[in-house]
Amino acid sequence: MLPCGTFSKDYGEDSAVIRTRLQWVITITALVFLFTIPLWGNDYIIGLVSYTCILIIAVLGLQITTGYCGQVSLGHAGFMAVGAYTSALLTIKLGLSFWLALPMAGITAGLSGFVFGAPALRIKGFYLALATMAAHYVIIFILMRLEITGKTAGLHPPPPEIGNFALNTNVRMSYVIISVMVLMTFLAKNLVRTKAGRAFVAIRDNDLAAKVMGINIYYYKLLAFFIGCFFAGIAGSLLGHWWLVITPEMFTIPQSLIFIGMLIIGGMGSISGVFFGVISLRLLEEAVTLFAPLLSAAIPAVGMDIAAPLAGVTFGLVIVLFLIFEPRGLVHRWQIFKVAYRFHPFSYV
Amino acid sequence: MSELLQYMITGLMIGGLYALVAVPIVLVFKATEVVSIAHGAVLAFGALFFWFFFVALGLPVWLAILLMLAGAGLLGLIIERFTLRPLIGQPLFSAFFMTVAIYMILDGIFALILKGGAVAWPAFLPTGHVYPAGVRISLSLLTTFGISLLLFGILMVFFRYTRMGLAMRATAEDHQLSQSVGISVQSIFLLVWIISAMVAAVAGIATGNVMGVSYYLPFFIMLKGLVAALFGGLDSIPGALVGGLTLGVFESVAAGYLDPLVGGSIREVAAFVFLLFILIGRPSGVFGLARIERV
Repeated sequence: MLPCGTFSKDYGEDSAVIRTRLQWVITITALVFLFTIPLWGNDYIIGLVSYTCILIIAVLGLQITTGYCGQVSLGHAGFMAVGAYTSALLTIKLGLSFWLALPMAGITAGLSGFVFGAPALRIKGFYLALATMAAHYVIIFILMRLEITGKTAGLHPPPPEIGNFALNTNVRMSYVIISVMVLMTFLAKNLVRTKAGRAFVAIRDNDLAAKVMGINIYYYKLLAFFIGCFFAGIAGSLLGHWWLVITPEMFTIPQSLIFIGMLIIGGMGSISGVFFGVISLRLLEEAVTLFAPLLSAAIPAVGMDIAAPLAGVTFGLVIVLFLIFEPRGLVHRWQIFKVAYRFHPFSYV
Repeated sequence: MSELLQYMITGLMIGGLYALVAVPIVLVFKATEVVSIAHGAVLAFGALFFWFFFVALGLPVWLAILLMLAGAGLLGLIIERFTLRPLIGQPLFSAFFMTVAIYMILDGIFALILKGGAVAWPAFLPTGHVYPAGVRISLSLLTTFGISLLLFGILMVFFRYTRMGLAMRATAEDHQLSQSVGISVQSIFLLVWIISAMVAAVAGIATGNVMGVSYYLPFFIMLKGLVAALFGGLDSIPGALVGGLTLGVFESVAAGYLDPLVGGSIREVAAFVFLLFILIGRPSGVFGLARIERV
């Protein structure tokens, strides 16, 4: 719902994402703020922002596969691993530059999504969800067994370079990560507005009806898997070249489940929902990590290593509450607020 | 040859355990059409309850088992009443994600209680091995196998011959239709969660007997149960039995012959590769009902 007095005078205006002057101001301020964080932030804040951005890229992919196309993937972290290992191998073994390895990682992850998404041609619903979980298991197993991927010790990807300038600190790398995140958000936002994006939504809502309408559901389901895993691969590659180490243990099934939780909390089928979901769960995780040692100190009986299980319990509780009270996620609350704000003196919509 | 036989027999015995783990998942699916991820954690809690009553409180075995059943039933009741009932009428995937969230909560609490360690109880079922025809069979696994078969028998009879079983099958078929012939869908859901939590708890004792109760039990057993249930078809109790046994044999044979080649733990992944192929070949499991959809 746009504010009063916003008219569409031609097709371009009608299909524009940013419509009003205020939206331009907010967008530009947000971008400027995001890119100046590395200038003033300390190491903790920069690390937090970079990691959150990487997760946003991964969850954007999951949003397209699951939120838009309705193909639940419980193995998304596995495809992140494919991306991370691909770009690590390309840079270490072949000496390719990171800037070439990054898109290659995305494409390889996308192709692996193609392979493991192929069961989606025949199976759907829960069976597909659990097949993707099996895919995750198989991917991690292969990575842990092969000599070339360093078995359980993993790999040490080099930091990206511009000329001879190595991006080997948190600050330098955060610029890359934030830029890629903005680019991928732009891509995702526009992708779901294309013919393919609308086909995804039709398949999600009722695949048989979509087929009757002339949508090639096999093609679009595979495309959804490819795109979702492409995003995951990009995220994995960035993670590897930022942390400079990747091991199979970094990409777990609980991580994939948390991605799904982020989608639920943010809101399915909405690009801005990804931001709501990822940021709120990340903040929650940080809060739990800070709070856990205090709890251990206050009640010694609970033991010391309680951060991880406590985070699991908190995430679970939050997801339960959202599913019961706001299944459409935070983004729905935000839309309600926006409408109420724009119609302020009037209570109706 | 005797090597193969040994692997197969061991696998069959372990498979009995997997089948038992798959049963609660199938039970819930039959009545509510929801795949429950949470049952791995419920099972682990069953084992923990048993440990608490049997070892920590030092009660006799029969009393500990009864109390454990009560505790597990209560857990099932709480899960259904407070988390899944509000979702009746919502898309099935909401309920699926709800079980994922419940799994996360229970798994976290379980890890908090065990603090990364493990508990075990003194053997109260027969231990040791028997050697019929030169094949080594662990007695504790054999007992587990017996318990599984017994439970399967009871459940089959329950679903086929009792009014309640019929009501549950009707509910699985269509919620609205069964409501209109006077079946209370809500109480069926509640009941099926309580029963499945109790079955899971029994499976928990069987599992704990074989491999102890450690902090990673919920995750491990959830995966095995899901694979076994999916293999047989989520809506078929005999399918769960066949699925569990096949999974056990397949894992054991694969581990026996392939582990030396790839360096261990093929057991972990063999099941999933197997599952992927089964799902591509028969999308609704080997014994599952293929549904025909209309728009």
